[in-house]
Amino acid sequence: MKFTTHSIIFLSIFFGFCLDSLIATFQIKTYLSLLENTPYLMQTCFGFLVFCYWVYAIPERLRIFSALLYGLLIDLSFGDAVGFHMLFFGISSYVIHVYAFRFRLFSYIQLIIFFASASTFYLACEYLLFSPNNYSYFLLLSSFFINAIIWLPIYFCMRFVRRKLL
Amino acid sequence: MARTTPTYTPPGKYVLGCLFSIVLLISDLNYQTFSPLRGAAQASGIYSQLILESLFENITEFKALYREKKVLIKTNQKLNNELLQIENKAFLKKQAQLLLENMVYVQNGAQVLSKQRESKLFQIASFDFKNYFCCSRHTIYLKNPSKLKIRSNLPVSDGKTFIGQTAGMDLNLIKVILFSDTSHNLPIKIKEVYCNASGAGKPLLVSCFFPRGSQSLNLQINDTVFTSGMGGIFPKNILLGTVMNIADDSLDGIKITIRLKGNPLEKNYFGVLLD
Repeated sequence: MKFTTHSIIFLSIFFGFCLDSLIATFQIKTYLSLLENTPYLMQTCFGFLVFCYWVYAIPERLRIFSALLYGLLIDLSFGDAVGFHMLFFGISSYVIHVYAFRFRLFSYIQLIIFFASASTFYLACEYLLFSPNNYSYFLLLSSFFINAIIWLPIYFCMRFVRRKLL
Repeated sequence: MARTTPTYTPPGKYVLGCLFSIVLLISDLNYQTFSPLRGAAQASGIYSQLILESLFENITEFKALYREKKVLIKTNQKLNNELLQIENKAFLKKQAQLLLENMVYVQNGAQVLSKQRESKLFQIASFDFKNYFCCSRHTIYLKNPSKLKIRSNLPVSDGKTFIGQTAGMDLNLIKVILFSDTSHNLPIKIKEVYCNASGAGKPLLVSCFFPRGSQSLNLQINDTVFTSGMGGIFPKNILLGTVMNIADDSLDGIKITIRLKGNPLEKNYFGVLLD
């Protein structure tokens, strides 16, 4: 795969994570002003879903090495523990690869359920590893619904980008 | 017969990749192996962000040249910054004085009369919002245009109270660890009760644990919380916040949650009390 293709894919994942950070900023302000005694309400996983989309859309071109490389770069860019995104990108990449062509037969609702579940699993592990104090089932449940809602816009938006640029 | 893996997906490489990631993750979580690398990468990211911001500011300023409000905007900004600086300076001066009078070193238990401490103001460079909201690590980075060597464990204030302490430097940016970071421990005093408050991993919250039946039973919600002066970093009797919640935690005894007064989201300038 060409370097420009890798750059486009990585940039889209990077912007996904930036969007997550931006949304977190608004959430902090809301949390501090209104909902201080409640658990966190929800967390979006734009970055992770964008990565899943790319593996889903071009599985033959995105393999383990790309997944590890993107994970490492995301870990370094966003100050997370090195290895966390590498591990999750690797695992999700494998699962999506194995079922890549079965996904083609899935309806939108089945895709939504699968990818929202995957992002919820990712979030649960993130909280368990880095912030067990803030782990809550309510957060996971609400994040499942939020990520289910954002999957389709990501899907169509990234498909548009893929058809235009790759 | 349907094939399970229509694409060629050799699991061996994936297993190796995942094992490699796990090794990296464990070494980083337990031994902070990649901490300097991560810090450098983050600092480079912040620098590029600052360069982009200044570029954007310059373009905005250029546009404002054609507007009559330009002078007013600049004056307003300047006055705002000056006000923040004066507020911070006054607070730090007072704290430096207090440190001279009250600082207690736990190591030898003796009163130490140090030299007059200097204070310096720094503008915020970056706030790690993602981790501040979700995770245990709460840090900010401060700009350091005069390239001062700032060591770790110096108190950082927002002009009204302390918000954290320095945690070294990454590519000339000063890293500050906030009180709400779970790895931070802060010796505090509530009425006559002393404890080490650790960060709760949530914005503006720290918590203390007391064994059941201890002095903590006399504490009430909205009691004021002060620095105890133990540890030798912060001067004593500085208002930190109020008791927000007292709960019986089945595992650890009585858990007291404290809401901090200093909100790092509200300020652009932070003062560091230098040696």
